[in-house]
Amino acid sequence: MRLSGPIAIVTLFLLWEGGVRAFGIPEFLLPAPSAIWTDAMRIWPTVLNHTLSTLQTVLLGFAASVIISLPLAMLIASSPAISAAIYPLLVITQSIPKVALAPILIIALGANELPRVIVTFLVAFFPLVVASVAGLLAAPPELIELARACRAGRMQQMLRIRLPHAVPFVFGGLKVAAALSVVGAVVAEFVGADAGLGYLIQTSMAFFRTPLAFAAVVILAMMGMALFAIVGLIERILFPWSTSAQANIPAA
Amino acid sequence: MILLSGVGKTFRGRDGGEVQALTGIDLRVAPGEFVAIVGASGCGKSTLLRLVAGLVPVSLGRIEVDGSLVADPRADTAMVFQAPTLLPWADVLRNVTFPLRLMGKATRETEDRARALLAKAGLAGFETKLPRELSGGMQQRVAICRALLQQPRVLLMDEPFGALDALTREEMSLELLRIWGETGAAVLFVTHSISEAVLLADRVVVMSPRPGRIADIVPVELPRPRDFAQEAHPAFHAAAQRIRATIYQRGAAHAA
Repeated sequence: MRLSGPIAIVTLFLLWEGGVRAFGIPEFLLPAPSAIWTDAMRIWPTVLNHTLSTLQTVLLGFAASVIISLPLAMLIASSPAISAAIYPLLVITQSIPKVALAPILIIALGANELPRVIVTFLVAFFPLVVASVAGLLAAPPELIELARACRAGRMQQMLRIRLPHAVPFVFGGLKVAAALSVVGAVVAEFVGADAGLGYLIQTSMAFFRTPLAFAAVVILAMMGMALFAIVGLIERILFPWSTSAQANIPAA
Repeated sequence: MILLSGVGKTFRGRDGGEVQALTGIDLRVAPGEFVAIVGASGCGKSTLLRLVAGLVPVSLGRIEVDGSLVADPRADTAMVFQAPTLLPWADVLRNVTFPLRLMGKATRETEDRARALLAKAGLAGFETKLPRELSGGMQQRVAICRALLQQPRVLLMDEPFGALDALTREEMSLELLRIWGETGAAVLFVTHSISEAVLLADRVVVMSPRPGRIADIVPVELPRPRDFAQEAHPAFHAAAQRIRATIYQRGAAHAA
């Protein structure tokens, strides 16, 4: 089971390499993995710098998503009136294409890290809010009744029952947000950046250096997978009951 | 002491109409008395318990515990639900101490008392287990320990053994009696099972549905401590027969 993931990835790369060689596909269309590797290694300090730059945007944007989404979700879950007021606003932020918003933000805030982090946040936070609200509201009524029978007020019900109950849902949202943070950071870099893997893809393609662009894409994919895995690892270590609760959801 | 006088409860139905769940409930439960409530589904047994718990406000009449009006859940009232309703993220010990911690009444000896109570319920060694690692019967035992740890004056039990298999159920009934005997709490025990009601209770309140009201109150003249051998006792049969007759007579009259 545990090996099937890596095996699938290795198989994909082998087929890719074999296919490119067998059919003689030109490098500027689809470079072979070996070509990608050699090109990226030739200028690895540059690639590393771009990677770190993107990683910083991703992590800051992801952190902002977490810090803002959880209290927001608690606020939304605390009352139907607040929920009715806030949800339409959230949906509006989601309906605006972030690619369209990015240049506006960069003009307004300057070509620095801030607009990139905001775009990353805007791309990543919504699923986290939705998942967290769902988790907070899904607390079984009998647990709420138990808390009420123990004279717990609404705040205590939120903190002692709803919040812990929402943990598996929150982690589901965190995994989606982690992957989307990578997407958000690259969108922002496409529009306004002088570093980062998104920037590297654009400049490479301008000079038909396709292997380098592919290298950036592969690194982005690995970054997304690593973040996803780290979130899952944190969940297993800090909330061991949560992973089993999640495993039980489809079974129930 | 629990006192209900002229208690009625109406709910607003989904169509805006009013549904009368309970009407004219008069009942007096002495300190340390065990009162079972039986009746067909939908006769308002659980609603009655929630009213006494202060979880739901009465529409009519008044409910008092020890002379003071029940308006909110009380610290000296504990409830056991049909499902164990344990916190899935907390181990057994933290589940048992949860109400006291929530009410800010946990003290240094709370944990020791919890361990002692769990041991008495046959759960020694399970303190650090999570609820999902326990069987249904053990989970419900944890829920009962959780209620008893609050040292309640009033213990409200809403079909606490309803989800258990028949054997576990019988075993748990006797355990409950044994532990309850040491607490002196007044118990209101809702059940579907007539034999369970007779075996456990000093008096059995028989309720009839639509609207829920008290049809009969049957005293059980069996000595304590109780055990299953007493099911052969004539007093057991007499009480069970009287309860059964009340429930089915009402049902038949209603159907006619």
